[in-house]
Amino acid sequence: MLSSVPESDTVIVADLEAGIGTLTRLPEASVQSTLVVVEPTPRSIDVGQRAALVATERHQGHITIVANKVADEDDVNRVRDSFAEFDVVAVPEDRVMITADRQGASPVDVDPDAPAVKAIGEIAMKMIAAQ
Amino acid sequence: MIRIAFAGKGGAGKSSISGSFARLLARREQPVLAVDSDPLPGMAYSLGIPIDDRPTPDDVVVEGPEGGVRWVLRPGLDAAGFIDTYATPGPDNVQYLQFGNTWGHVSTLQRGQHAWSQVVKEMDPTAWNVVGDLPGGSRQAMFGWAKYADVVAIVVEPTAKSIHVARQLRNISNATWAPAHVVVVANRVDDPTDVARISDALERPVIAAVPNDPLVTDADKLAVSPLDHRPGPFVDAVEQLVAVVESNYDLDTQERTDGTS
Amino acid sequence: MKIAVVGKGGSGKTSVSGVLARSLARGGHSVVGLDCDTNPNLGLSLGVGDLETERLLSLRDQIDEGEQEHAHTWDDILEAYGTDSPDGVRLTVVNRIDNPEPD
Repeated sequence: MLSSVPESDTVIVADLEAGIGTLTRLPEASVQSTLVVVEPTPRSIDVGQRAALVATERHQGHITIVANKVADEDDVNRVRDSFAEFDVVAVPEDRVMITADRQGASPVDVDPDAPAVKAIGEIAMKMIAAQ
Repeated sequence: MIRIAFAGKGGAGKSSISGSFARLLARREQPVLAVDSDPLPGMAYSLGIPIDDRPTPDDVVVEGPEGGVRWVLRPGLDAAGFIDTYATPGPDNVQYLQFGNTWGHVSTLQRGQHAWSQVVKEMDPTAWNVVGDLPGGSRQAMFGWAKYADVVAIVVEPTAKSIHVARQLRNISNATWAPAHVVVVANRVDDPTDVARISDALERPVIAAVPNDPLVTDADKLAVSPLDHRPGPFVDAVEQLVAVVESNYDLDTQERTDGTS
Repeated sequence: MKIAVVGKGGSGKTSVSGVLARSLARGGHSVVGLDCDTNPNLGLSLGVGDLETERLLSLRDQIDEGEQEHAHTWDDILEAYGTDSPDGVRLTVVNRIDNPEPD
């Protein structure tokens, strides 16, 4: 359905099914940008690498790797080393994200100034600027 | 005989728990077959088995009879033979069968993967203790990919999202293939109110509460099984889960006490 | 502009999607959150709350079970299968059934 949505000034943020199944079925060039979210663990990076490969092959726009829940430099490097040819942006481990999950609330409403919220806000700005 | 499958929202901890469960069960009962129907590797990490992306060959299946299932195991290859040939031996002598091996180019499933569902349907239920890991979400469970399971354990974190998915998964109790038992395992429990919250939300008792354990995060980052890293509260809790399942859901014991199967 | 957010379950994909959408909206853009998951949870990360997310979840279930008519246009979809989130983000669930894995 995503590929048939008409282009306009509206930004569509599509949260795809977890895994790569949907990505393999998404018609080529459906989106201008793909965010691959990974945790700094081999298991998560493994899935991310598969997703990045499929997205690249199917021309799903500019691909950015989001290294999420990073606790330290080791975590960031673990992700950067696994995605050497891609832009990698880091979102820090943040208690506010956990609290929001527990409560079923948006992190933006729990604390708009939380480090992770601000980091994602910067990703948003970069994406608009890159358009 | 134990036949259990773990379901739950992606990231709830199904693979960590199911892989650890399989090994801990294997230390008490043999043989144990670990079946991972997720196209992406998960259980292998917690079993301590290296990731192997080699797909099962296409020639394990042939076209089925008109009007029936499209792909069936080729003549001469039965479920036992398939398991013998394609299961990977792991630590604690767990035998591991993985559905997936999906790398990149797959837009349609490889033929060899169709064999997997046939094997699961046809395997001798008395020959193995089976511990299965289902992909995240409710879809596969609802489509009957865990038909081998006598017990389905829904793994739930104390988060709104995890609880939402768990509520959908409860509906397998009403499915045509429904498992005999649907139980709830709480994971990443931080405080005692988490268990009550999950139990209230799902209107079911929680049979095991697995705590948040930093040693598991460490093990995950090192890509080793929690059992091979530094066993701590997580491993203790899964051991208790094995004991609870053995006491309450062992098919052999149930048959002896009820006289029913 | 269309953005796809992908990742392993539990990686934080939905949380990132929700915060991203709200951030873009706060930046003055018209934003739609499209929840493509068969277990749709994006509403929670967008801040629509538990009850409304549950309602959309039931809607998705009904769609998958064929109990709901498919909408014919994008605007219909936004209208029939959507809800408003804070900062003016419109959230909608998908109404096309993906082909499940074979039995």
